[in-house]
Amino acid sequence: MSRYSTMRGFFHRAISLRPMRLAALTAATAAATLAAGACTPSDFLQVTDPDIINPGDVASPAGANAIRLGAIARLNSATTGGESLLLLGGLFADEWNNGDSFIARQEIDQRTITPQNNFLTDANRALHRARLSAAQAVELLRQYNPTAPTWQAAEMYFVQAYVENLAAEHYCSGLVFSSVANGAEVYGRPLTTAEAYAQALAHADSGLALVTGTTADANRVRGALQVTKGRILLNLNRPADAATAVNGVATNFQYLMYHSLVTNINQYWNFNNLAGRYSVSTNEGTNGLNFATANDPRVPVCLGGDVACRAINVTKATRDDLTAPYYVQRLWTTQESPIAIVSGAEARLIEAEAQLRAGNSTTSLGTLNTLRGTFSLPALTDAGTDAARVNQLFRERALTLFGRGTRTGDMRRLIRQYGRAANTVFPTGAWHKGGNYGSDVTLPLPLAEQNNPTPGAGVCIDRNA
Amino acid sequence: MLSRSLARIALAVCALASPWLAPLAAQSANGTLTGKITDAANGQPIGNVQVSIVGTTLGALTNQDGVYVVRGIAPGAVTVRAIRIGFSEARGTATVSAAQTITLNLQLKAVPATLNPVVTTVTGEQRRIEVGNSIAQVNAEQVVETRGVANVADLLTSRAAGVMVVPGVQTGAGVRVRIRGTSSIALTNNPIWVIDGIRVDGSTGSSSVSVGGTTPSRVGDLNPEEIESMEVVRGPSAATLYGTDAANGVIVIKTKRGVAGKPQWTYYTEQTGLQDRNQYPTAYRAWRTGTTGTTNSTAINTVQCFLTQQASNACRVDSLTAFNLHDDKETTPYGTGYRTQHGIQVKGGSESVRYFLHGEYENEDGVTKVPEFEQRYLSRLGLSLLPDQRNPNALKKYTTRANLNLTLSPKADITVSSGFTNQNVRLPSSDDSGTAGIAANTYGGPGFKYNLTATGDTLFGWRQFTPRDVYQRTTNQEINRLINSVGANYRPSTWMFMRANVGIDFINRVDTQLCRFQNCADIGQERLGFKIDNRTNFFTYTADVAATATKKLTDGIESKTTFGGQMYRTIFDRNGAQGLVLPPGAVTVTAGATKTADESSSETRTLGGYIEENLGFGDRLFLTGAVRSDRNSAFGADFKTVFYPKLAASYVISQESFFPKWSWLDQLRLRSAYGASGVQPGTIDAVQFYSATQGRGESGEVPALVYSTLGNRNLRPERSTELEVGIDGTYFGGRVNSEITWYNKLSKDALVSRILPPSLGTGATARLENLGEVRNRGVEALISAQLVQRRALGLDVQLNLSHNDNLLQSLGGQPTIGTTQQQRAGYPLYGWWSRQLTGFEDKNGNGIIEYNASDALSEITVTDTNVFIGYSTPRTEAAFTTGIDLFNKALRLSAMVDYKGGMKIYNNTERIRCASRLNCRAIADKNASLFDQARAVMVREHPSRSVAGYFEDGDFLRFRELSATYQLPTALVGSYFRGRNLTATASVRNLGILWTKYTGVDPEAFGNTGDAPSEFQAFGPPTYFALRISFGF
Repeated sequence: MSRYSTMRGFFHRAISLRPMRLAALTAATAAATLAAGACTPSDFLQVTDPDIINPGDVASPAGANAIRLGAIARLNSATTGGESLLLLGGLFADEWNNGDSFIARQEIDQRTITPQNNFLTDANRALHRARLSAAQAVELLRQYNPTAPTWQAAEMYFVQAYVENLAAEHYCSGLVFSSVANGAEVYGRPLTTAEAYAQALAHADSGLALVTGTTADANRVRGALQVTKGRILLNLNRPADAATAVNGVATNFQYLMYHSLVTNINQYWNFNNLAGRYSVSTNEGTNGLNFATANDPRVPVCLGGDVACRAINVTKATRDDLTAPYYVQRLWTTQESPIAIVSGAEARLIEAEAQLRAGNSTTSLGTLNTLRGTFSLPALTDAGTDAARVNQLFRERALTLFGRGTRTGDMRRLIRQYGRAANTVFPTGAWHKGGNYGSDVTLPLPLAEQNNPTPGAGVCIDRNA
Repeated sequence: MLSRSLARIALAVCALASPWLAPLAAQSANGTLTGKITDAANGQPIGNVQVSIVGTTLGALTNQDGVYVVRGIAPGAVTVRAIRIGFSEARGTATVSAAQTITLNLQLKAVPATLNPVVTTVTGEQRRIEVGNSIAQVNAEQVVETRGVANVADLLTSRAAGVMVVPGVQTGAGVRVRIRGTSSIALTNNPIWVIDGIRVDGSTGSSSVSVGGTTPSRVGDLNPEEIESMEVVRGPSAATLYGTDAANGVIVIKTKRGVAGKPQWTYYTEQTGLQDRNQYPTAYRAWRTGTTGTTNSTAINTVQCFLTQQASNACRVDSLTAFNLHDDKETTPYGTGYRTQHGIQVKGGSESVRYFLHGEYENEDGVTKVPEFEQRYLSRLGLSLLPDQRNPNALKKYTTRANLNLTLSPKADITVSSGFTNQNVRLPSSDDSGTAGIAANTYGGPGFKYNLTATGDTLFGWRQFTPRDVYQRTTNQEINRLINSVGANYRPSTWMFMRANVGIDFINRVDTQLCRFQNCADIGQERLGFKIDNRTNFFTYTADVAATATKKLTDGIESKTTFGGQMYRTIFDRNGAQGLVLPPGAVTVTAGATKTADESSSETRTLGGYIEENLGFGDRLFLTGAVRSDRNSAFGADFKTVFYPKLAASYVISQESFFPKWSWLDQLRLRSAYGASGVQPGTIDAVQFYSATQGRGESGEVPALVYSTLGNRNLRPERSTELEVGIDGTYFGGRVNSEITWYNKLSKDALVSRILPPSLGTGATARLENLGEVRNRGVEALISAQLVQRRALGLDVQLNLSHNDNLLQSLGGQPTIGTTQQQRAGYPLYGWWSRQLTGFEDKNGNGIIEYNASDALSEITVTDTNVFIGYSTPRTEAAFTTGIDLFNKALRLSAMVDYKGGMKIYNNTERIRCASRLNCRAIADKNASLFDQARAVMVREHPSRSVAGYFEDGDFLRFRELSATYQLPTALVGSYFRGRNLTATASVRNLGILWTKYTGVDPEAFGNTGDAPSEFQAFGPPTYFALRISFGF
């Protein structure tokens, strides 16, 4: 047994030491203590967090499938399950009026938007999250589940094409599409609006190339890809190609976003029917359409507190800011109402526009009236002039596609493709809460994008329509 | 399981110590020293004085009679030192003989509590003059007895220079503490809290359900009645050895201890009235007559004719009305609150066992009450609110504590400390709690009393909902908290001292929010009923061991070497549940038609070790060198260990022979310290991961995964270094004291929540990176003086001053973060930014400020870009305290006035009144000042929609405390009440603002406890009128 085999022996010995030796001993012991602190077995510091999913957990067929479903969930948040461009774009255009006290919503409604607008930043993030999830799913399906039905990967391309097109329709020129690969950032460069549409088109084509089956799922994905491709081509001012793209899509086709009571409610219901932060607008800023008062079955609306509103449990008469009138949409009247973000009706409208642009106004009118018939609406008559026909067509588009995120893109096309002046298209004049409307015709890129190290990222190349 | 673990720990400590418990008989070759310690002012014995033999680890505490006994002293001349909180150090010498008992009596002189002779450090208690830092002290026992203190925030507010305390404004609301400015951009700026040697949770914002902004903080669980002393270790230079997490400072609390002697009982009670004496803004309305519903003002709509509309001839005003519902006794939601407190303490024991036991009941009903008009309404309809709904803001607390000191031998002792708190806080929906909150409805009223709902009910000036609905949303937080620690001290020889502390702070928090069926405001789905029930357990474990070797190297040089190690482990473990759509009568989640549940947990672990060397030269120069290393589970995979160095010097220069001997100067000390410390990142900030979510398809919900965050493999703690230089003086026989400190704190590797560009598509919007550099530089001063010191009259004054200069030196090349509150390199953290109003002029002379897109016509001018408006937190703080003693100190009058300045406060309440509620004077009344009109026009009509006009000077001078304490003559108490002492204290807390330029409700009316809160529909702080009786027997 060592002479220091007990602590008592150690200290007795220590007491007998001279000061310098004592100091040395103390220092050595302290150093050992310090070292112990620094070199303590790592397993003590290994903490597992059950709240997170590690990258290794998605490297499997089941993991790839979970990511695929996540991309659909992200698309839902980026469209009808969040305060997305579908709502904010409509607020910017003439579909909705602001009904609350948030400056960030008011400046969108007033067309005087600042790049730090937090609601737009959130909406922008939602779009890119959907895009990234879909891209990750494509890669994971390829690696870990190559025998999965091809519509699954095709649907992921649809997600990318849809959100890229939606972004290009709303934001100024200069969009950036970055990505994450192998856990590291891959920053994109600023794209012109045309380049952004081109990227969306490429994704739509990739999806269409994959979806070859005839199952219900394959048909659903194919229809969504076709209409999205048509919409992109329309934005690229290729109406004939757009009409070709949507050929064969049934008029009653719908690509639905589903909602639930618990985790994912329909946000039109939330922001308009429940909270009154949005009110369906009517004749907003002189140029706006009369959505709320058109008495059109495609945009059924009630006035807060009236009989029709009470029937859908909207009892209050004022918006969140206590102002009136409070117009409430009756298209999606419950939290769970599914919403079609892509439809066959849009396909017919694309065809009608292509026909009009080709100079065949009679056929175009016929196409519109056939579509109106599905809503039990009376037929329209020829508007008489080219400009009036365009107005008629775009009014039909606006009422048929109300709330689906097309209105801002259409207004921009009226300026860009039809030569209209911005102040004849967008709301203008006195804004309903004081001051005047601004001159924005696009949404600015979020200030947060300037954290992208790529030169020029986050700054609009231009703010033109 | 918890108690079993603690028992095992205690057993292990005893087992380790047992071989060293040398029998008293073994000491017979040595001598014994005894004596009595008394108060120099009145000769009364002083208990709990720490008596020690200088240069050894030997010592003892005095009993209630002031008597001490130190055994086992080696024969020879010894120096004896006596120290106790509230008194200056006393020294004496004696010659000890073998097997004999020598007597040495000493007298102590009272000093201000802030100049106690001993301070607590990681390595143990240390004499103040040996420490190179300034450590602020609060004599909690004295403050509680004489100042009407309701909570720990009251105890700390304005009593320590450099410590900014923002007290809560509601019963049960949290407190925010910042020490020497704000250092961290992304992490907490809260200090860490240590009670009886173990870490405890002092977090702010401690709630999982929202009432708008106000949240409890865990500091509120602590009971000031149990605290003996509180010390504030201000910065990294002093907190180095506390390790990672201590960069924001440390607040060290020692709870009360027993004193040897017969049981001393103390019963106390406090009865307090609470009143809201704040001035709330008046609502205005400009009425117009029109022909349609959208142009005609009625009692049911919001149609008005604003000033700028009048100017453009869009409408004409018929009349202007104004109504302040807070000033109308029928409509105000504020009444008189009431606080009652009953507590009993006993302390006593023997030389071997000392105990302190405490129990207290406290109940506070806040000032929020049901207004008269609402009582009438309910009475008329035969309805009633439930008791919880009638008093939506309340606190009920039970506190117990048992502290035990066991002296096993002259060489070993054990301390067991156990505190338990049961607390229930009920908070009303206020602040930013949406349209259904109290404040939204009181601040948002229409400017006349008899406004109507669509169904014809009178709202009595409330905006949309009245208390019968608003108060029905019941939000509770129940806390069960156990703070237990066991400490062991062992002195195996005269030169070696070893100690260990283990303990746990366990908190069980249950947050609930309930709207019963057909209760609450008719907004959203509230009236369908819902119940939220979130249950969270928090564990904070501490294990702390250290050994100190003391050696006299030469006649003039003394060495003290300490080495130690620490382990901290924190666990957060939560289950939450929510039930939506309740049937009548139901109050549980289970009853909900739709139920959701969630689970969340996290854990951090820290291991640290340190060594410290103290060298004392002739008891006047003291040098300290130390280094600490830490490893932490939250560090990135590529970062392992952090080292924190420390150097300090304290030099009592007045003791040098070369120093001039002025009669008025007692002591002058120079000191300086340099040290580093850190703040650790969050538990999963370093790792890349995915998150689970739900997808929804035709067939229902399906599990799904989404990409969450990139992680950061190089993540390391924030590292703050600090240099502190100070000079302390004592003058005129100890009647005047000064302490002046300059510091420069630099936080390198500051963790910046680097905003991730949205285009990446990550779930996380930011990633923590060690990019920033933040500097806090400032001065602190403490001056106290006993101006008059006579039997009939005493007068003392104390002034606390501090000034902080905060600067974000670098963001690591990242763009500015934030909008109106920005982190921008070259400016202070959390500064206010906006497009500034640079001018206004009523060009057309119509008395109305108007905006026009044409610069020539516009009557306001606004900068093109955001500019820095000002600091969001006070730069300068001062507190002046004075006390007057009368009738031989039987009656003491005290007062405290404090000042905070150098900051802008965002009067967000006025902003929303002008921009959204449309009831502020500036948009309706031509008599409003042009500036008020201009800022309203800027926020409402200028394209910038800038809120800059509402950043107001926040400087204020507050009458914080006023109290009178009368101590009945001891003889009278003994003969009439058979007691030891009887004290009565009458006090008022928050008497009001003496001066301010701020136009909002109160410059401390913040609902939340964030780093730069604004006044947003918050309540003002109430005034407390308290009467306290304390009876010792």
